[in-house]
Amino acid sequence: MVGTKDLEAHFEFECKACEDGRCSKADVESILAERKGLKDFYEAFKEHIRECKRMTYGQYMFVIDREVLPEAVLWWHNHPKFKETHMSTAVGTDERPLNGHFAYMPFLNVQVEPFKMDENYWVFLKVYTPADDPSFPSVAAKLPAALWIEREVKDLLGFKPVGHPDPRRLILPEDFPDGVYPLRKDMDYRHSPITEPRTEYRETPEGTTLVPMGPVHAGVEEPAHFRLFVKGEKIVDVDYRGFYSHRGIEKTGEGRLTYNQVLFLAERICGICGYQHSVSYAMAVERLADVEIPDRARYIRTLLLELERIHNHLLWVGIAAHLVGYDTGFMHAWRIREPVMWLVERLTGNRKQYGMNIVGGVRRDLLDYRKEEVLKVVKEIREGTKKFLDIALNTNTFIKRAEGVGILPYKVAKAYSVLGPTARASGRKIDARLDQATKTAMAYHEVDFKVPVYKEGDVLARVLVRMDELFESLWIVEQLIDQMPDGDIFTPIGNLPEYQEALGFTEAHRGEVVHYVMTGEKNKVYRWKVRAPTYNNLPAVPEMLKGYHVADAPIIIASIDPCYSCTERVQFVDVETGKVKVLTEAEFNELSIKYKGVF
Amino acid sequence: MALDIVKLGFSLAGILIMLLLPPYLDGIARRVKARLQYRRGPPLMQTWYDLQKLFALPSVRPTKSALFTWAPYIALASAISAALLLPYGNVVPVDFGFNLVVFFYVILMVSVALMFAGLSVQNAFSHLGSAREMQIVLTVEPLIAVLYGVLAYNAGSLNIADIIANLHATPSVILTYILLAYALYVESGFVPFDIAEAEQEVIGGPLTEYSGRLLGVFYYAIHIKRFTLLWFFVSLLTLPWLGPIGTPGRAALALALQFILTVSFYPVIAALEATNARLRIDQVVKMNTRAFFAGIIILAMAFMGW
Amino acid sequence: MAEAPSHSEKLKSWDRMKVEGFSKKAPVTTPYPFTDIEKPPEFRGIPHINPEKCIGCGACVQACPPDALIMEWDKEHGVKRLTYNAARCIRCARCIEVCPTGAMEPTTRFEIATDNKEDLVEVVEHKLAYCEECGEYLDFTERQIEYVRNILPKEIFDAYALEDRIKLTQEEKMRRTVVKLRELESNVYPAFMLVEKGKEKKGGEE
Repeated sequence: MVGTKDLEAHFEFECKACEDGRCSKADVESILAERKGLKDFYEAFKEHIRECKRMTYGQYMFVIDREVLPEAVLWWHNHPKFKETHMSTAVGTDERPLNGHFAYMPFLNVQVEPFKMDENYWVFLKVYTPADDPSFPSVAAKLPAALWIEREVKDLLGFKPVGHPDPRRLILPEDFPDGVYPLRKDMDYRHSPITEPRTEYRETPEGTTLVPMGPVHAGVEEPAHFRLFVKGEKIVDVDYRGFYSHRGIEKTGEGRLTYNQVLFLAERICGICGYQHSVSYAMAVERLADVEIPDRARYIRTLLLELERIHNHLLWVGIAAHLVGYDTGFMHAWRIREPVMWLVERLTGNRKQYGMNIVGGVRRDLLDYRKEEVLKVVKEIREGTKKFLDIALNTNTFIKRAEGVGILPYKVAKAYSVLGPTARASGRKIDARLDQATKTAMAYHEVDFKVPVYKEGDVLARVLVRMDELFESLWIVEQLIDQMPDGDIFTPIGNLPEYQEALGFTEAHRGEVVHYVMTGEKNKVYRWKVRAPTYNNLPAVPEMLKGYHVADAPIIIASIDPCYSCTERVQFVDVETGKVKVLTEAEFNELSIKYKGVF
Repeated sequence: MALDIVKLGFSLAGILIMLLLPPYLDGIARRVKARLQYRRGPPLMQTWYDLQKLFALPSVRPTKSALFTWAPYIALASAISAALLLPYGNVVPVDFGFNLVVFFYVILMVSVALMFAGLSVQNAFSHLGSAREMQIVLTVEPLIAVLYGVLAYNAGSLNIADIIANLHATPSVILTYILLAYALYVESGFVPFDIAEAEQEVIGGPLTEYSGRLLGVFYYAIHIKRFTLLWFFVSLLTLPWLGPIGTPGRAALALALQFILTVSFYPVIAALEATNARLRIDQVVKMNTRAFFAGIIILAMAFMGW
Repeated sequence: MAEAPSHSEKLKSWDRMKVEGFSKKAPVTTPYPFTDIEKPPEFRGIPHINPEKCIGCGACVQACPPDALIMEWDKEHGVKRLTYNAARCIRCARCIEVCPTGAMEPTTRFEIATDNKEDLVEVVEHKLAYCEECGEYLDFTERQIEYVRNILPKEIFDAYALEDRIKLTQEEKMRRTVVKLRELESNVYPAFMLVEKGKEKKGGEE
């Protein structure tokens, strides 16, 4: 096996050792032979591949010419054998300080065989663009899954996706000055908003009226702006404008914080799936540092991830009931959920934001007597949920509102790379817990569970998928408690290698969470990209809404379990809005130096 | 004159009940719902406190339209005048010839006021809510008219007091009662039929733009309307079968019975509300249309003397 | 992460249903905030600095992700100020983990709402050590020096040399080194180097 460290030759744009795209330092042939499909891709795009390497276990990177980017992405996405392959997201990086180029890198979750983590792998397709012309042919023109990410890199890094069908602003606010790109490394913090904000809403189509759902709406828990174009009560078309709760987290992570501090920031991306983000981030860093974490730590992480899934599914079903006016269901779902919160509070020290992770393991051990408590709670939840479902699914009015509403066909789900329960309700067989190599950070491969898949694709199917999953999670928790190994809970990491990249991922209760980390110097993070599942699910919501009633809109939107704050993590901190401390890069450095100088 | 004093007394009692009881009924409903949801629930006075707070607050007026300002008061006046047309004991405070027809229209006025209030502002949600209210009214009112027709035909009068005095039990009347319970429930706008004011879908519908005192008045009107419809139903359910009510003592007994039944029906309604999700407007329209045809059949039965 | 047995017993016996008055039957809610609520002993509330144990080393400041802990030097008055602001704190308890003396104490307090932001701030001031030679304050506090004295194994270190130099500023230490070297190797290092180095040190940060 070739170790990650052997596969160096990073960040030399024109790898001088590479003749015909072969890197002399790494044995390309042996890398390509590791997984099915890699070789075919290499043969198909031979002239355009500049470099290929393995980043870490199950993660492969090809540096390709930018001209063939759409073809390369679609080659994977439409692979006839690997049916569930999808474009996960992409990441844009300002690598000018390193090699004078911008980098844009879509990555795909390649599924050779569903639920076989040792056969599937990630493929990163990196293109370098010159600093004075950061343009690349748009993938979004052919694949809707890339719609948002290309708008995002256009906003934040000033890239130019040529041929993008909808090049409006996605992330930056309307009053943000032009030509200021927050994620560029030479970004100046002193710009203030322009005086006249420009809105770029889509025109209302002929013969329809506009119903603005949001930015603040009782049926949407967080700020999100769905502009429904309706005829009577029927929704004809939808425009979405979001990113109102955008906090500059990625930029903050790249500035002052060390890799262990970023972990706590990662946990605070979302109030619901925080631990999933924390584990994903920790996994990414552990992968790039190439350390194994102790078994016991893996088990404790998995236990908490599943407990989080349990209470979040209950939370979601409560909200769904609330949105169709079934408040009793709402209250009872949350009542059943409360013991899990209490349990987690005792296991970790907090109801949410567990703060349990540290890169290399976990911070608190699971004391033996708590095992009984976990099992007790699991039993309680199982009984309570069964009773609840008995009543809720026999409530005629509730079923009437959920059945046959918001149907998302399989093909649309795949084209938008919809993830998680939303995708599984539409018949997609994906689950990042088993699809990809989570075995380095979690223990899913050592327990037995099923992944429920429904074909209907309506709201009811999404309810049922989640409820089935909840029972599976309870079963996983019981197995974990039973099999819990002894030993350490933490491996020290020490210093991180510089300029390494890796991906961490988990299956949150909404879909696959992805954290891409590229290290910088001195244990800092050079680029940190977070992609929450809602980022892929939300663009598909307009497709679900079309043709249904305005009354169905809240439940359809909620049926993907949207989390806006996860999705919209990256906003740049505004100079004018006082509250948050805003510092220039130099001041940042000064401060960190000042605090460093204690010893 | 002695009779007049008794009449005055009953009318006053009726007015007091009609003005003071409705928010308490809502308080009971909230308590019942809370218990069904394993919560503690607010005190019985809570709806009064809410109204008190709203009455004390100024309203924001998003439009210059006078309709916007007057609609809540029209709704309140309509609801109160509808309540005055009902019997309290054996006394109807405002008693005249065709008062069943007037009752029908006056109750309708509350919905109409709500509808126009929603249409008087430039707000998509208000308009949607008004449109929904209109659809509900247009489908449920014919049903109610047909049912009133059955009752009037059966008793041979269009006066509420006369109907109560002369109603006799036939299969058609019993069926009418069942259907009337449904129709009045729909008109009251309880869950699952609170579609026009749905909080999560159209953020309050016609009430979206209302605030402060005007909103309070609207709420008060809606509570009184709900009470009136229930009181009407309870009166039909009890008074015709109590036999002739001559003495003030028996009348007081009848009033007490009405009162107790009204108060005890409210928890049942609350339980129904708590165990249902909100329906969609097209589903309600379909249900109402079916009920309307059933009403026509009952009317035919009544004409045949069943 | 071993815990003392008594604490462990406390953890085991703590029962939320008893302490907080929750019940399984309806109603399951409690009239909080009109009743008191007690969090389990494991709960990570806001930390608290014990000024008696704190030595002002600043390990917590380095570990703190949200800058809730800040360290300032006031060399004119010879004071090092450690400020903890609960309003910025995210309760991750990293400071408690890294504290070498256990001065950062965990609590289960979580109700920190107040109408005066000053209530949320804890300030610990330390006296900086004073270099008698050059008449300047050191970067270290007196307690830090005391702590170092205590943890250094006496057998290994030359205690006298330590006593000699421990209370000197960086510049003074360098100056002495140079002087010593000069004595030993008879003017290997010319005098201008000494001056240059001193200046450099003053201007730049470590």
